[in-house]
Amino acid sequence: MRRSPVALRIAVLCYIGVLIGVPLIFVFQQAFIHGFGAFFRALRDQQMDHAILLTALVALVAVPLNVLFGVGASLWIVRHPSRFTRVLDTIIDVPLAISPIIVGLVLELVYAQGGWFGSLLAKLGWQIMFSFPGIVMASIFVSLPLVSRQVIPLLRELGDHQEQTASTLGASPLRIFFTITLRSITWATAYGVSLTLARVIGEYGAVLIVSGNIALVTQTLTLDIGANFENFNNYQGFVGAVLLAMASIVLLLILGVARHRERKRNEYLA
Amino acid sequence: MLAAPPKETPIAQAKSPPSTGRQLRRVNRRRRRGAAKGLAVTYLSLLVLIPLAALVTNAFNHGLGSFWRAVTQTESIDALRLTLVCAFIASAINAVAGLATAWVLVRDRFVGQGILNAIIDLPFALPTVVAGVIFYTLYGPLSPFHVDITGTWIGITVAIMFVTLPFTVRSVQPVLESLTFNAESAASTLGASPARVFRTITLPALMPALLTGTGLAFARAIGEYGSVVFISNNLPYRSEVASSYIYSLAVSDQTNSAASVAVALLVIALALLIIFNVTAQRLARNRA
Amino acid sequence: MSISLNGVTKYFGRDLVLDDVTDEVPQGSLTALLGPSGSGKSTLLRIIAGLEPLNEGHIELNGRDVTNVPARDRHIGFCFQDYAPFRQLSVADNVAYGLKVQRMPKAQIRQEVDDLLHLVRLEAFADRYPRQLSGGQRQRMALARALAIKPDVLLLDEPFAALDAQVRGELRGWVRSLQRELGITTILVTHDQAEAMEIADRLVILNEGRIEQVGTPDTMYDKPANDFVQGFLGPITTLNGVAYRPHDIELCAPDEGVAATVTDVIRLGFEVRVVVSDCNGTSSWVQLTHDEAQRLNLIVGEHVSLRVRMGAKKNRGPEIPEVFRIDGDEFTSSSDQEERTPFAKGSQR
Repeated sequence: MRRSPVALRIAVLCYIGVLIGVPLIFVFQQAFIHGFGAFFRALRDQQMDHAILLTALVALVAVPLNVLFGVGASLWIVRHPSRFTRVLDTIIDVPLAISPIIVGLVLELVYAQGGWFGSLLAKLGWQIMFSFPGIVMASIFVSLPLVSRQVIPLLRELGDHQEQTASTLGASPLRIFFTITLRSITWATAYGVSLTLARVIGEYGAVLIVSGNIALVTQTLTLDIGANFENFNNYQGFVGAVLLAMASIVLLLILGVARHRERKRNEYLA
Repeated sequence: MLAAPPKETPIAQAKSPPSTGRQLRRVNRRRRRGAAKGLAVTYLSLLVLIPLAALVTNAFNHGLGSFWRAVTQTESIDALRLTLVCAFIASAINAVAGLATAWVLVRDRFVGQGILNAIIDLPFALPTVVAGVIFYTLYGPLSPFHVDITGTWIGITVAIMFVTLPFTVRSVQPVLESLTFNAESAASTLGASPARVFRTITLPALMPALLTGTGLAFARAIGEYGSVVFISNNLPYRSEVASSYIYSLAVSDQTNSAASVAVALLVIALALLIIFNVTAQRLARNRA
Repeated sequence: MSISLNGVTKYFGRDLVLDDVTDEVPQGSLTALLGPSGSGKSTLLRIIAGLEPLNEGHIELNGRDVTNVPARDRHIGFCFQDYAPFRQLSVADNVAYGLKVQRMPKAQIRQEVDDLLHLVRLEAFADRYPRQLSGGQRQRMALARALAIKPDVLLLDEPFAALDAQVRGELRGWVRSLQRELGITTILVTHDQAEAMEIADRLVILNEGRIEQVGTPDTMYDKPANDFVQGFLGPITTLNGVAYRPHDIELCAPDEGVAATVTDVIRLGFEVRVVVSDCNGTSSWVQLTHDEAQRLNLIVGEHVSLRVRMGAKKNRGPEIPEVFRIDGDEFTSSSDQEERTPFAKGSQR
């Protein structure tokens, strides 16, 4: 086994330590700087509680929709290829290259008053911009490809021999889907779901534009943190930040497990 | 959503009116699948395609001249240049650092490696605004290290470095893992020094993945907002990145200008992504 | 250049993969390291090349101790099982790699590369990339690349394993004649006994990290040191509990041999395999030529008698202990007879 020089290892550890480790420790230190009592009192902040609830609701709607779309589109792209799916395969990744601010802007251009669908929506009495549906749409946009990017390569690699074998054994398509297809992409999907969830609860720029950032109405947790810092209410901001940091650590652990399972599966295949 | 792939129904059979229960089920399945596809396309259209079309329309609905004026405003040019410079520096640094990190993760063995491997993904998982406020506090006016880099290109670059770190690591790492040592060993039996082996054998093998990862990082960096907005202070002409500028235009109801700069930024991001990907593919082709 | 291995021992973690391997590879020979997978033969080859550190023992090239010399200074040509092509380099650049490392002048490199490509019959492919070559061509490119540095020793790790049968046969003959022509000391690793017997003038049989026997292909086939070697070098079958080569058993008139019943007749081109079962139900088989089989016209269920063919090489067994002597082995130096015997190092059973 070739060994890398120790100096390289130390350099990398320093780089990651300064860039990631220090900020991570810092956010915890800041949130607990006044002790646990103050931290738990800060948790009962009315604005923040509303923001947490809103973020949770947005995730509850946006994540399942994107998982459904991601898995479905992946199956369609891989298993029923056509000229159309090749186009779909390309545009599905486009949201990743778009600045969140632009995401917010484009949604506003269509769904706000004066936008393309503005008058239609007004006639129907549907409020999309500066309300819950707009936030959900922005969240879906920014996290759209995260599931399919995990699932598509896996489906390509797996091929459909397992499904064909199952169908020669007399299994119904529905049974094949649940017992073979879905099971083989479980961990890749879990990985995609965690990434989607992380993106949805962490989105800032796009949500900032489409929500209008109204406290106690359309302010998500990320917006609440931003607002606290703008109002020099740094401590309250750090309490919110540490909640999100803890959520992302939990997601990281799930990601780690998902990747580990994926790798095990690959070893088994090899 | 979509049913699992059944055998394709022969065309003749599908066209004849469904008579048996089996055929009826098949036709229903096709209808269900058709409906699912329609739903997927509608979803994508309402969320992505129509809004993007609206962006382009808004950018050009007062003519090419007005688009060009909006993009070439001094404030806009300064913002775009600052964004590109910072994104370039950050992704260049991360190309090197990411390669080194992937190398250490794959070719080295040490205690705490698992933690290092897990923590690499933190910038993916941590909300950008959290990163933004942390860097603002760490390296701002209240800095515990007495380092204030707010309002400078350095601050912006550091924030971008944080956000884009995982891209290169995660694209290089699997390729490095899949490399057998044989080509490297062969080079060393031919007398090549370790440095030469790395330069002539290992690095070329990793180059496509490194380019792809750096391209993704670059595209992400160009549009970054949440992590940058606090530390940059958003001083027009000085420390305002493109996304901040678009935001300020959008909230001051200069929608057409905002759309114009947004189109410019999008085109740059997509062009860079394509250039990086095409180069990576060209390099990879020889290695098939 | 001769190679000597002295007590080479290697652990992977706690697993002993090479146990006190000692051998003397004479100058100019073509030695095959033969053994089942997991016997440690590839590891031994990599240790000789300096690609793998060893735990105990030492290695000498022409009397010079190279145990701690890194691979790049050993001047050994090594061909990998997967040929390890430098994918981003053209065939010519692959071959030129070692010469460029030596800082040879450009014009001279071009000349050398041309000569080598001519030698391996790849002149027409100089500007192609490895992915554009067939398996056999890649293998020849890898050989040219290894030979470019004019190595003292050539090591080939399963050189023909990834090729289809016909190409494999052609390349074997070609490699053998090339080796004769260049006179370069060569060690080849293989798990295929037929390949080893065909190509090598010297066999080293490894099993579970230990050398079982060393000798010429002929000696080894006729006088295997133990059951393992006998079973590994060719098919065996048993008659009355004694192991024989199937072609050393013949069918004879009743009462002259062991009674048995034909259970299957398998035609394999020139050779016909007759599977028989004796009165105890023990199954064994006899190898006949096509002509013999036709003459006997055997059918399943027929009763036959078996006996050992006249003049057949007696097989290893308690009554023929002389087989432990490996005399007549042209590479056996008389001075270290003790070293040459396979069980010299405490593996006596």
